[in-house]
Amino acid sequence: MQIIELRDALPRVFAGREPVPSQVWQCQLRLERGKHYLIVAESGTGKSSMCSYIYGYRRDYSGTITFDGADIGTLTVPQWCEVRRTGIAYLPQEMRLFGELTALENVQLKNRLTNHKSEEEILGLFARLGLADKVHTPAARLSIGQQQRVAIVRTLCQQADFFLLDEPVSHLDETNNAIVAQLFTAEADRQGAAIIVTSVGNHLLLDYDEELRL
Amino acid sequence: MHSLLWKLLRKNISLVQLIGFGIANLVGLTIVILVVQFYRDVQPVFGDEESFIRKDYLVITRSVTSVGAMMGTPSEFSEADIADIEAQPWCRQVGRFTSSEFSIYATVGLGNSGRSMYSQFFFEAIPTDFIDVTDAEWEFSPSQPEVPVIVSRDYLSLYNFGFAATQGLPRISEGQVNSIPLSFTLTGNGRSEALPGHIVGFSNRLNTVIVPEQFMQWANERYGNGGHRQPLRLIVEVNSPGDVKIDQYMVEHHYEVAGDKAQAGKASYFLTVVTTIVVAVGVVISLLSFFVLMLSIYLLLQKNTQRLRDLLLLGYSPAQVSRPYKLMVLAVNGVVLVLAVVAMLVARAAYRPMLEALQIPPASVWIAIAIGTAIIALITTGNIIAIHRKVKALWIQES
Repeated sequence: MQIIELRDALPRVFAGREPVPSQVWQCQLRLERGKHYLIVAESGTGKSSMCSYIYGYRRDYSGTITFDGADIGTLTVPQWCEVRRTGIAYLPQEMRLFGELTALENVQLKNRLTNHKSEEEILGLFARLGLADKVHTPAARLSIGQQQRVAIVRTLCQQADFFLLDEPVSHLDETNNAIVAQLFTAEADRQGAAIIVTSVGNHLLLDYDEELRL
Repeated sequence: MHSLLWKLLRKNISLVQLIGFGIANLVGLTIVILVVQFYRDVQPVFGDEESFIRKDYLVITRSVTSVGAMMGTPSEFSEADIADIEAQPWCRQVGRFTSSEFSIYATVGLGNSGRSMYSQFFFEAIPTDFIDVTDAEWEFSPSQPEVPVIVSRDYLSLYNFGFAATQGLPRISEGQVNSIPLSFTLTGNGRSEALPGHIVGFSNRLNTVIVPEQFMQWANERYGNGGHRQPLRLIVEVNSPGDVKIDQYMVEHHYEVAGDKAQAGKASYFLTVVTTIVVAVGVVISLLSFFVLMLSIYLLLQKNTQRLRDLLLLGYSPAQVSRPYKLMVLAVNGVVLVLAVVAMLVARAAYRPMLEALQIPPASVWIAIAIGTAIIALITTGNIIAIHRKVKALWIQES
């Protein structure tokens, strides 16, 4: 997948409201493979909605979203599964870890589907993010910041053309922020992938090609 | 099975509900297949053929009452009576017994002993369709008058075990009967002629002496007084001889049914009715248990909705995340089927000796097992389709 485009897209709940200046909604937005995008938003401007539309699990928008020119509304369930395994790596804001599984199991649940990283590589990532001693701890017993790092490792465990990161460092300190930025840059560069980051304040510390206002 | 998936998805599985379903379905299914098997095992008692498709015949007459006889109530069946019987739903066809309208004497030569028996006799005729002796030479030609007769098998038994045994006469097998010289002297209409005859077969169904209709027509014209008489007896082919409606009809019209065919038929009919009722109860129990499992699964999917959605977001397909539940249903239903078959075989082993004492050959168990498998397959398919739909419905997560 090379290009994701949003054409006049707008969450249905926004229809009829005063138009707010946005570089995403009701615009022609083109996101290209290989570039880094920062989408800066205020709370309630539809940041997570945008991610859910692009990731295909919500359809309550007007306008069109396309992958390489094809309307994503026409994708079948198997095609979406393929997109989620090899096209878009998504880090949801709410992380969506399984509390009863350990940190490692949460990552393995994804990695077994994609076979993207060896267990050694995964443990290496945990170590980089200061979670070496939390590998076998159930996710429910981790702090929110630790959970965010586990979710980051999970997001890295797949082939992707686009890394879609919804507030990836909202609960992390600057040190970890920098590590996360390095990890994603390295992975994206290796794959030639784009990184799309949303943020309400605490930005992921990357060199961005484009900064957009939602 | 993907162990991590199972670790996640087995959450909220209610063992109590599963066992509840298992027991309920086991009871229902066991009832169904056991009753089917029992029905098949005891069916031979009531006839060689399946009673559902068995043709059966009733011979009916008007009740003879002393009052009726004095009042001159007719003992014949009128055309209207016959038409009415033919119009009944349980009636397939009606045959008329034609009686001989002349006097008959039969002479039987008893081998080389030189002795012969001489007796007043009677003939009746019915349409060939109703005769249960199929391979007989059942023809009569006036140019070479020889009379083929079919007699009730009871008559042969009566002769062999009653008469021959006490009179020192030889017993006769069915095969020998054909060779016994018979002679019939027919008298009436100013004529008296002797015709040769022979017994061509024995009937289980007809308790009389039957000659071909062709012969009867010819003989009644030749020796009879010309008066056309309505039949005194009718043979009726019915769908199910034990049908209570037949009974009611006979009582209402003061008809009598000959023989115990109706009794055996009635027993068979009741067996069928009872079987149907019990099978229906079993099916209802199975059906209810199916809904219990369905509700249990819905509840489970409801409780695990968030987990399932999160798995779909990771890239798992609806088929992958629903597979553990489908396998679970398959396993539970499989166990239920195996247990039900075992229960059926155990129960059968308990009642078989009773049937063996009656020398009833065992029926195959495969039909009952196939029915059980079909029911389980149906229930499993229903469950799996429901799971599939429910999981697929989780795909889009509207805000």
